[in-house]
Amino acid sequence: MAVSHLFVQNCAGPLMIALQYNDLFDLLSISTSTNTDALPKGRAFTFIKAVQTVNERLVDQNKTESLLFEVILIAKECSEEIKMKIVESVKHYGIPAALLYDQADHHVLNQLKVIFSGDVIGFSEDSLDSLSDFGFGETQIETFKAAKICVKEFAVLIGQMRRRFGHENSPLCTCVLSVWGSRNICATALKTLREWGLDVDEVYCLAGAPCSPILAVVKPHILWDGGLHNMRDSSAPS
Amino acid sequence: MSEIKPTVATSTDKNEATAEEKDWAAAKAHFESLKSTKPRPPKPRYAVTIGVSSRTLFDMVAERKIFQEEGLEKYVQHQQDHEMNNSDRLILFTKSVGLGPNPSSSRPIDSLNREPFGHVPSYWKKHEKPLKLTKDLPDRALMTVNERLRKLYPDSEELFDIVLMTNNHAQVGVRLINSINHYDLTIERFCMTGGQSPIGYLKAYMTNLYLSKDSKKVQEAIEEGIAAAIMFKPEMETQLSETQLRVAFDGDAVLFSDESEIIVKQHGLDMFFEHEKLNENTPLAKGPLKCFLEALGKLQKKFYAKNERLNCPIRTFLVTARSAASSGARVLKTLRSWGLEIDEALFLAGAPKGPLLQKIRPHIFFDDQMFHIEGAKDMGTISAHVPYGIGQKYNKGKLIEPEKQQK
Repeated sequence: MAVSHLFVQNCAGPLMIALQYNDLFDLLSISTSTNTDALPKGRAFTFIKAVQTVNERLVDQNKTESLLFEVILIAKECSEEIKMKIVESVKHYGIPAALLYDQADHHVLNQLKVIFSGDVIGFSEDSLDSLSDFGFGETQIETFKAAKICVKEFAVLIGQMRRRFGHENSPLCTCVLSVWGSRNICATALKTLREWGLDVDEVYCLAGAPCSPILAVVKPHILWDGGLHNMRDSSAPS
Repeated sequence: MSEIKPTVATSTDKNEATAEEKDWAAAKAHFESLKSTKPRPPKPRYAVTIGVSSRTLFDMVAERKIFQEEGLEKYVQHQQDHEMNNSDRLILFTKSVGLGPNPSSSRPIDSLNREPFGHVPSYWKKHEKPLKLTKDLPDRALMTVNERLRKLYPDSEELFDIVLMTNNHAQVGVRLINSINHYDLTIERFCMTGGQSPIGYLKAYMTNLYLSKDSKKVQEAIEEGIAAAIMFKPEMETQLSETQLRVAFDGDAVLFSDESEIIVKQHGLDMFFEHEKLNENTPLAKGPLKCFLEALGKLQKKFYAKNERLNCPIRTFLVTARSAASSGARVLKTLRSWGLEIDEALFLAGAPKGPLLQKIRPHIFFDDQMFHIEGAKDMGTISAHVPYGIGQKYNKGKLIEPEKQQK
């Protein structure tokens, strides 16, 4: 899975997304002999296209629409240190950060697909503590708990946006994916999101089944998992 | 690695494999922390996975009518209005098995993370209705097999796993989950694809058998190499075993390819008998359900290995219109060449299958010809149509459409 961060912050008004320059365009594959044609597409390209589609459809419906996506590009002069600083600042200020999923060209361009983690939203505080027996440290579990609050903000806005469209033919598609929890955890997640104003379109409950094959079919653009990917990639304790 | 899923590719990415293991461990931890007598679902890679559609599980005739006549929005709204929901609190019920400390009261459960306890009387508010269960899925028999396998092989993940695969919208999902809770079905995994085809997910879940009422989806699944069949509800309910899973298969175009059936349809029975005798020792090509029989066989062998052959909780039947004398040998030799066993082979020599199936009482009967499916379900057998091969172009022996080129 891609480990690239997408930061979202809502001041009043548009849903702001900050994206790194080098995710939009693939700078690494430029050879010295290329001519002055446009830069090759990077992994966020289809995501941006999908975001554009959502905006276009929103404006189509309401010319004075203010709830739109706004994308800011961050130039990548950055050294590793600066990148680390960005990640830390995001954590420090509690800015919700989502995982930008690795985009292949076959990702859909005319629909933005967003996945919310059913585990982050559906697990209760007590159930999370049971994970400490299985290699997840205290801090990791605390981060996990805090993630739910961050996700809410984003979910509320996406919910508002989603309601501008009907069930069919929507340029914005929302999903819940729960990897660990039982079906009741998943049901809790669905209802919590509904309370926050978001009726998701698709739901997947894996109960421990490997998620990569499923994600390969779902093909999301972004994935809110509360930092779960960090917890999973860290090496297992001996 | 398990032989039940020979085509599974192992994850070559080390990071991905570690992440997968962590996810598995976390899910295991969660299920074990639930104070429930229900066991956790097995690892998909080793399990015999059965994918079922929502209409296979529940009777959604009324709902489907709303969908077809009034459209998707009204359909979703209807389902939401009939959810068993009381804002934050979910009132869960379990089937009456005499368990639970307090049979006379209904207990609201605050935390949705706890599995239901207790046996409670019927209590439904005006709009809180679970969907009606079709009873077509042999949930209890499958779970009995699992229980016995767990006793004999406590560390094995080679068990049955049931996954709900539906292209229903996620908001209908809440009602589906509530209904699953109501009947205490052992289904923890599901994919609700919000309108898209579930076929890609069937493959992602390494599904061994897919059951649906939608013929298009079933055909797609078969084309992708997944054993699949269209479910038909019997006219009457039959008492079925809860301690032994009984599965009946037709031979040609179900376990075997339709090569011989083509000869019957195009050249008649005499030619067919001659051909089969001549080719007795040539194995038939495989049909769409062969791999499912194979998966069942692998589980059966685990019982045999522990001296449980006489008491095996899985029993398979071959119910074929072939006659034993003239065309039966080839079928049995083919099975043997595949290393597969079938517990009972019944050669009907053209007699109707309905009455025999009524005696056998399988939990499910697979056949490629609607004529046989109808005969079976009229007499109370849960039947599943396999839309494969030349049999699809005929009805009761007569060609129903101009002959097309074979695929």
